[in-house]
Amino acid sequence: MQNMRHYVIMAVLVVVVAVLTYSGLNSLGLMPVAASAQALPIDWLFDLQVKAMAFFFAVVIVPLAYSLIVFRRRDGDTSEGEHIEGNTPLELTWTAIPLVIVIAMGYIGASNLAQIRAVDPQAAQIKVTGFQWGWRFEYPQGFTSNTLYLPADQQVVLQMESLDVLHSFWVPEFRLKQDLVPGRITEYRITPTRVGDYKVRCAEICGTSHAYMEAPVKVVSRADYDIWVADQTAQAQAAAAASAGQPDAGRGRTLYEESGCKACHSLDGSKGVGPTWKGLFEESVALADGTSVTADEAYLIESIKMPGAKTVEGYPPNAMPSFTYLKDGQVADLVAFIKTLK
Amino acid sequence: MNRSPGSFSRAVLFLFVGLLAGLGLGILLHTLTSGVFNATYFADIPSWMLGFLLGTLGFFYGLLGYFGVVRGLIFQVLGTLLGAGLVSAVRALLKTSFFDLATFGLTEPAWVFGGLVGAVAFLAGVGALSDWWKWARGEETHDHHEDIPGWRKYFGVSLDHKVIGIQYTFTSLLLLSVGGLFALIFRTELAKSGLDIISLNFYNTLMSLHGMVMIVSILVGIAGVINYLVPLLIGAQDMAFPRLNAFSYWVAVPAAVLLLASLGLGGFDTGWTGYPPLASRAPVGIQMFYLGVWVAGWSSILGALNLIVTVLRMRAKGMTAFRMPIFVWASLATSIISLTATQLIGLSFQMSMFQRLFGMPFFDAAKGGNPVLFQHLFWFYSHPAVYVFVLPGLGIISELLPVFVRKPLFGYRWVALSSIGIALVGFLVWAHHMFTSGMNEYLRVPFMYSTLLVAVPTGVKFFSWVATLYKGKITTPVPMLFVLGGIVVFLMGGLSGPPNATVSTDLHLHDTYFIVGHFHDTMFGGYIFPFFAALYYWFPKATGKRLNETLGKWHFWLMTPSFLILTLFMMRVGLLGMRRRIADYDPALGFDPWHLAMTIAAFGIALAVLIFFYNIYKTLKSDQMATGNIWNSRSPEWQVPSPMPAHNYDHEFEVVGEPYDYGLPGSTYVKM
Amino acid sequence: MNHENHSGSLYQGLVIFVILAFLTAVEYFIAITNASVLLLSIVAFIKVGLVMYYYMHVYKLAQEDDEHDHHSYAWKLATNRLGLWLFLLSDSFVFGGLFISRFNLLGFTRPPLNQFLGLIVTTVLLISSFFMNRGETQMARGDRKGFMLSTAITFLLGLGFLVGVVFIEWPNAAAEGLTVSGSAAGGIFYMMTGMHAFHVLTGLIFLVIILRNTARGHYSAEKHWAVEAAAVYWHFIDVVWIFFYPALYLIGKLM
Ligand code: HEA
Ligand code: HEA
Ligand code: HEC
Ligand code: CUA
Ligand SMILES: [Cu+2]
Repeated sequence: MQNMRHYVIMAVLVVVVAVLTYSGLNSLGLMPVAASAQALPIDWLFDLQVKAMAFFFAVVIVPLAYSLIVFRRRDGDTSEGEHIEGNTPLELTWTAIPLVIVIAMGYIGASNLAQIRAVDPQAAQIKVTGFQWGWRFEYPQGFTSNTLYLPADQQVVLQMESLDVLHSFWVPEFRLKQDLVPGRITEYRITPTRVGDYKVRCAEICGTSHAYMEAPVKVVSRADYDIWVADQTAQAQAAAAASAGQPDAGRGRTLYEESGCKACHSLDGSKGVGPTWKGLFEESVALADGTSVTADEAYLIESIKMPGAKTVEGYPPNAMPSFTYLKDGQVADLVAFIKTLK
Repeated sequence: MNRSPGSFSRAVLFLFVGLLAGLGLGILLHTLTSGVFNATYFADIPSWMLGFLLGTLGFFYGLLGYFGVVRGLIFQVLGTLLGAGLVSAVRALLKTSFFDLATFGLTEPAWVFGGLVGAVAFLAGVGALSDWWKWARGEETHDHHEDIPGWRKYFGVSLDHKVIGIQYTFTSLLLLSVGGLFALIFRTELAKSGLDIISLNFYNTLMSLHGMVMIVSILVGIAGVINYLVPLLIGAQDMAFPRLNAFSYWVAVPAAVLLLASLGLGGFDTGWTGYPPLASRAPVGIQMFYLGVWVAGWSSILGALNLIVTVLRMRAKGMTAFRMPIFVWASLATSIISLTATQLIGLSFQMSMFQRLFGMPFFDAAKGGNPVLFQHLFWFYSHPAVYVFVLPGLGIISELLPVFVRKPLFGYRWVALSSIGIALVGFLVWAHHMFTSGMNEYLRVPFMYSTLLVAVPTGVKFFSWVATLYKGKITTPVPMLFVLGGIVVFLMGGLSGPPNATVSTDLHLHDTYFIVGHFHDTMFGGYIFPFFAALYYWFPKATGKRLNETLGKWHFWLMTPSFLILTLFMMRVGLLGMRRRIADYDPALGFDPWHLAMTIAAFGIALAVLIFFYNIYKTLKSDQMATGNIWNSRSPEWQVPSPMPAHNYDHEFEVVGEPYDYGLPGSTYVKM
Repeated sequence: MNHENHSGSLYQGLVIFVILAFLTAVEYFIAITNASVLLLSIVAFIKVGLVMYYYMHVYKLAQEDDEHDHHSYAWKLATNRLGLWLFLLSDSFVFGGLFISRFNLLGFTRPPLNQFLGLIVTTVLLISSFFMNRGETQMARGDRKGFMLSTAITFLLGLGFLVGVVFIEWPNAAAEGLTVSGSAAGGIFYMMTGMHAFHVLTGLIFLVIILRNTARGHYSAEKHWAVEAAAVYWHFIDVVWIFFYPALYLIGKLM
């Protein structure tokens, strides 16, 4: 009877504590807003897990605290505890129940995963390039952008590629995360649902400026998206036509800022991850192999297109990613820009 | 020769002399190589590292004279120079640039080879190899070394497992302080958004070293407790291979030096996981990091080997498998992992080292390598390793609970076998760290299942602990407080595991502070709390003096809430979008107040640890003795007076009962 | 240890060697005919089983010793044995990791290597194992002279293997375009053979040590743990190569 009373009190307390823990956590608002179709099953599953966590937390904490209070040694009591060695049925029970729960969780987890990986054959494709320390998005219409524009309510699949080291594509509001691995193309499938401004944040340490490897993500309505695409396509065509004519330092500066050169090359003479561009043109550059070259146009073009070919003294080899996607015209723009930096 | 040549005040004096000399030397070298003097050299990390090295050397020299660890460190420095010089000389013969300071002795291969030679030289210098050298020459060695009396024996090679255990424990606390200090520095940076006090690269280095130094500290601390306790618990005179035991300890010391030396060589920015291809571009510091871990790995492997043999062959009469103290089971489970899996982290680091040194492109996709392969090899160890961290800790919890509850451990066999179960299942789960890595997609589901499975044997432990408490006569002196704190904190850490194990939720949680919160909870609950419990509990056994209860309670009641704030807030911001391993975060996320609270909590933990150190100091100074069975335990080591006699038990004892039969009148565990 | 049956154990060593040699030939034959990975693995496992049981005496681990005096030689011997085997278990994880890396990186292709040379060095290593076994049984019988001779032959064969791999096969492979830094295939080839060669080198050092100490009269028929340890270690190197040889030379399409 004594035992029965303990059990009943503990059982009631377990329920109370579990419910309180769960509702307490829930009322905090654990996750950021959900902005993708994939976020819904994930949030649903996480919520289920929080329930399980709250329950098992209570199952352990309640009897622990209860025993500590009820069975504490009173002053002057020198007797020993009750001699209970164990109870095999009980042990079997608390092995079997978690086992069943765990298998169920695995099953739910697997079907949940299938749900978020569901493929829409109509999905739009966008190419994502990650590099130290920036992002770049290439649209099938043939233009590139530093902001990821996504149409709401349509599945897109990002074909992701890294130019140098591991990076990881993460938009917290989309919930999903996927690494970019050099030498292969990884895939990130998402259906944005909520119009708004977000950020992609690199989630895999990738060196010095990993903390700052972010880029804006804009989810816009289908109509706005189409307008933006048309606009960008036109701009890109105009730019291509223009750079086919004359290299232009102004466009070069924009490229400098948007293609990621800025992360490593300063314009004010200070040493960054890479050498400064200030006064670079026509200067003699000491190379790591002991020779030196004059930074003429050919050298600059080579340095941009094949950074591995010559390494500047005092810098690690292969530190600079090869920006293979830069078109010849764009490289010419960059060189024109470097020439202006006296 | 055993005349104590030094004193504490001399040690402190030499510490400062060494520090200044090293710093000065560093600045001088800097000035010479660059040709100009610059006031910023005073803030130069390599010079400070040189200063710390010479300062440490000076400190120990002042304390001990030319003996033990001092000789080891001097040998290590000379060995490093010798090794580096050798490489440079060979390179000079092959090339031409002999007098070029930049290439002479300062190239990467020179540092790596030098580091390796230095580590071996340390072992030779400290004297951990001498007996083996004699064996190879066919000479006899004495079976029983008599130790130097007094505290100096702790600073030189001793074959006594108790001395080695204390050496390990002391080293572990030292590393814990160093790693903690790193955490305090970078936590201060994180207190508010913006980059205020340290540079990006220095943040990355500190963060990475914090992780690995703490992990090495755990490995060393576990070895300490195991070494001190297991032979006592099973009634052995010593470990099976005392020389190997000493070697395992001493090899960890140069390893720690190497790890810290990475700070002086440009640091590295990869996190403790050291993933290529980033590692292939990191400064030379990464090589010292790899090498340090590689060397420390040998400490783990050989220590585990020794332990398994000891437990299998040296148990007292009557100690059948299911009459072993539960901690022995836990140590055995841990050692199975350390013995085998450790080789794989060694291999992965070695391959990455070779990729840098010789250009072997294992992980270079452009040449047919596979960056993900590294992650598989790395986690094949580093996941099971997390169970290396906790199994002894959970063993300590199971060991101490019955003593303070005065009741048998509930379901002894289940608890014992669950350790082995956790260890074995732990081998099959490694890829749960790689759900986003781009590995084969279909592999994610089986790894999810196997990972979730670990919850089952871990649950058995928790439920058995709770059932042990039920109907006991519970007292809560300091060791028991830490046991209870450990249970609660580890529960929180453990329960935050399944959401990571489930693939789709992990896609959100991976590489966020949620994970950081998860593993601080598991490691604190599963290791740090039980470790402190063990220190409070067995300190009287080792020294004959009992740590002050009041200070102990301060320690506990300051550390626990601070710690809970730290990790709960970590999980909170992690879910909301705080990435790991970033020196600065977007103020727009609104995390500033949370991070400030975490930083304050971190200092709370540090203060608690300082109280603990003060407690040790004060207790050692006092002359209040506690030589009896102060916890009223049934365990054999408490049946003899404290501190433990030099040769353990005078007569072998015999096991005649169950280990945890508290509350059964008239039963004993061992017959002395 | 069975002292009476010494000629028997020499005879046994020979028989095992002949079977091993035969299996190696079979292996080679499988490789040139259909290169079945399954068959090749079966052969490798049989070979390893034979070496472990008959040359390395793994069964001795299970021998019950009712010796409870922890200072007795018998007790220490059994303890040392357990330690050595645990070390080998640990070490085999390195080689296992390399083995798996090889298949991860190269899949079912193999680098262009000199088949003839591969067969030669493999055979040399197998013969050395035979002489090692012979030496150990001779020592157990108290035949120190015979032991010295057999061990010296083992040493020379081991040296031959090392030279074959490091000074012939390596330059040869490099000339074929398989360089250290050229491709992952090159990297893993040099890493695997290099780690194995490093173990051969340490094995040779142990052989020198036991030879030198025997010459100074150190071991006896009853007490020669060092000899046993060096022998077991030497066979372990052989076991590793039994897996590495097909992995590097036989399995997969030529790349
Ligand atoms: C001591 C160390 C320790 C321990 C014990 C654990 C225990 C567990 N860990 Fe943790 N883990 C780490 C240390 C540890 N971990 C570290 C250091 C990292 C990060 C490494 C890095 O990237 O730097 C990490 C990362 C990590 C990841 C990768 C996350 C990521 O990067 O994306 C995952 C994913 O599955 C995971 C899962 C688990 C699980 C399921 C357990 C389980 O063993 C927990 C089992 C326990 C319980 C579940 C609680 C008690 C059980 C019950 C009360 C029974 C009933 C419960 C249920 C049925 C659910 N851990
Ligand atoms: C056992 C392991 C362990 C322990 C105990 C700790 C303890 C602490 N950890 Fe750490 N931590 C890790 C293991 C551990 N950590 C690992 C593995 C990582 C991952 C690294 C990676 O991503 O690669 C990590 C990462 C990590 C991060 C994430 C960094 C990032 O991703 O950018 C943070 C952030 O707050 C943090 C904080 C802390 C704090 C505040 C403590 C505090 O508890 C520390 C408290 C302080 C002390 C214990 C020292 C007290 C002593 C003194 C002050 C005396 C000093 C005096 C002398 C030297 C004489 N840790
Ligand atoms: C991750 C860092 C990084 C990024 C991003 C980067 N570079 Fe570099 N760059 C370097 C480093 C390091 C060097 C010097 C080593 C070398 O020559 O390979 C370098 C060298 C150069 C040079 C030769 C400079 C000299 O002083 O001789 C040019 C030109 C150059 N980069 C152009 C660019 C352009 C254009 C971009 C952007 C489209 C860019 N870099 C982006 C790191 C970077
Ligand atoms: Cu890119 Cu972090
Ligand atoms: Cu893990």
